Amino acid sequence: MSRIAVLFSLICVLAAPLRAGAETPVTVFAAASLRGALEEIAAAFPAPLSLAYGGSGTMARQVAAGAPADVVVLASSDWMDWLEGQGRLNATPQVVARNRLVLIAPEGAAPISEDEISERLGDSGRLAMGQREAVPAGVYAQQWMQQAGLWDSLQVRLAETDNVRAALALVARGDAPLGVVYASDAQAEPEVRVVLEISDETHDPITYPAAALTPEGAALVDFLLTDEAQAILADHGFRKADHGS
Amino acid sequence: MALDAAAWDALLLSLRVASVAMFLSLPLALWIAWILARKEFRGKGLLSALVHLPLVLPPVVTGYLLLLAFGRNAPLGRLLESLGIGLAFHWTGAVLAAIIMGFPLMVRAMRLAIEAVDPKIEAAAATLGAPRVSVFARVTLPLILPGILAGAVMGFAKAMGEFGATITFVANIPGQTQTLPSAIWTALQVPGGENRALAMAALAGVVALVAVLVSEALARRVAKRISGAR
Repeated sequence: MSRIAVLFSLICVLAAPLRAGAETPVTVFAAASLRGALEEIAAAFPAPLSLAYGGSGTMARQVAAGAPADVVVLASSDWMDWLEGQGRLNATPQVVARNRLVLIAPEGAAPISEDEISERLGDSGRLAMGQREAVPAGVYAQQWMQQAGLWDSLQVRLAETDNVRAALALVARGDAPLGVVYASDAQAEPEVRVVLEISDETHDPITYPAAALTPEGAALVDFLLTDEAQAILADHGFRKADHGS
Repeated sequence: MALDAAAWDALLLSLRVASVAMFLSLPLALWIAWILARKEFRGKGLLSALVHLPLVLPPVVTGYLLLLAFGRNAPLGRLLESLGIGLAFHWTGAVLAAIIMGFPLMVRAMRLAIEAVDPKIEAAAATLGAPRVSVFARVTLPLILPGILAGAVMGFAKAMGEFGATITFVANIPGQTQTLPSAIWTALQVPGGENRALAMAALAGVVALVAVLVSEALARRVAKRISGAR
């Protein structure tokens, strides 16, 4: 008898909804690099937010497949264009933030120039970056290396990761002596330092487009463009949406 | 044709990683399976749990632990690198990941086969004067061969499909550490990459099908030989 009661209550607990809040949160699918900033923005936004993070490609495909998102924020305009082509967006995407690419090394390393990269890698060191095709930060990094004439020598010395934060972690732990990440990533990790600022001219503009998929999501996209949200993004090392325009 | 050079590179690398991993782990898996099936000793439960751990741990955790143990800054990683065996970010690291992930599956299949052998048959051979080595080679081994084959195929299949631990430990470098699953994942992360992904997925399906068919055929031949010999 008591065993049945225990079993029954267990089933009730498991079957109960995960979140017992009265208000349905606005669900955001966002590029993983936005995590820190979005969490702070969520605290400032009047309605509750439910935040899901992942690679831009994964997020875009899930949204296209019908994921229950109200807003999608990606780290790649290519993916947002693709998503727009799928006919899933409720409104035109808007750029809500921008970023820069930086070369990083473990904390305590000295700044270097582009010509000294091979030397810094030594015989067996690798340069960590996002995967050259799959990860937006890796796509930009490859564009920079090609533009700077470094690609031929560096492409066999890479450690290409499945997301840019994994590349950041490799450098922070010292598994890679150098890495290419976003300025916002470098700022979030105290174990690394920027050793070279990479020129914007060498790669496509790094933009974060956001789009609403439902009327409920439109308010958040508008909020992301307010001075308050833009200041939070700037605090986290992003550039403001209107930078350079 | 959606199968470009990078896709074939990835397939060849996966086949190489899976074959090397399978052959390297075979003897050790057989030994561990033998111990677990036949011997009684302190810590047997612990050994069994350790062997099965990669089956239960999320693959990304296994990959991360490998990176911590064999990374360029870890003592073990540095020692191996000084011996010329680089593992992190090398295809050899993918082999290590494949061995660890496939090991529990190999051991399980072999252990079941060993446990199914009636010790009386071995005892009978021994009473007829056969030395222990010869009992193993001529009685036990033929009886457990189907289990060894099944274990080897499981290990090979696991290695062909391994993704989480591999991408975490050796990254995803085209031509160096980009296995077929990594290449498929990469294609799916590029807008419009569906066709490439599907073509490679079909390739992976064909390889899996051929591997299973070959192992079935081998198992049938072995079974026939055993029953014929009786």
